[in-house]
Amino acid sequence: MTREAACSCGQLRVTAVGEPFAVGICHCLACQRRTGSAFGMQAGYEAGQVEVAGRSPSTRGRLTRPIARCTCSASARTAGAPSSIPSPDEPDLVVVMTGAFADPSFPAPTEAGYTARRYPWVGLPGRLQGGHTGDSNPRTP
Amino acid sequence: MPSRHAACSCGRLSLEVVGEPVRISVCHCLACQRRTGSAFGAQARFAADGVAVTGDYREYVRYSDEDGEERRFRFCPECGSTVFYTTGGAEDLVAVPLGAFADPAFPPPTVSVYESRRHPWVALPEDIQRG
Repeated sequence: MTREAACSCGQLRVTAVGEPFAVGICHCLACQRRTGSAFGMQAGYEAGQVEVAGRSPSTRGRLTRPIARCTCSASARTAGAPSSIPSPDEPDLVVVMTGAFADPSFPAPTEAGYTARRYPWVGLPGRLQGGHTGDSNPRTP
Repeated sequence: MPSRHAACSCGRLSLEVVGEPVRISVCHCLACQRRTGSAFGAQARFAADGVAVTGDYREYVRYSDEDGEERRFRFCPECGSTVFYTTGGAEDLVAVPLGAFADPAFPPPTVSVYESRRHPWVALPEDIQRG
């Protein structure tokens, strides 16, 4: 299955072939700020599954990972939707923000990190609601 | 009066918000999914006179698919986080994405819209008003 992902304005696009090896949620405060939502949600792919097209200036924050995203600074119609976070530790891994697929039938998350930061009103599937964190899995997106 | 602090990822764009929100909602629409990169958008609306903005921002303007209503999103040009937006050209009410407060103790949403686009595994409080 091939899925298309894009930022709000469409200038940064990702084509992902096949299924992600993991779909995860992260409740950390940085993901809250990055998304503006209650949690981040991302899908991990092998780099060979993913093709990126368009403009993606990178920013590097206090965390160790560079973030490729569309800020479309040259355009009057601009967007700030994050689209991928490749990890320098794992160059074969590409993480795509699942919202960029804009597809409510996208596979549900199977892992959750930073559950201590979960908003108490957010209900998640089965075991993700409880104490499972997935933090010990280095490939959790 | 107590105030709340909201900011983008890199901290260059921030808000000081005085007063309680007049509406806290979740939106499942596809545009909110793309904008956030997450499963839904969550936002709190405040009276604009209680919101003070610090830092530079850019705007992304989009028009609602349903009724063409304007949505004017303001985001940090450095890190891309949307920190506030207005709707329908009304500048007296400011919506702030919940995540910008980075506070899991923030009051819960009472309204959920675009339920037809909800990821089926997302569960919200039973008494939430759905649309």
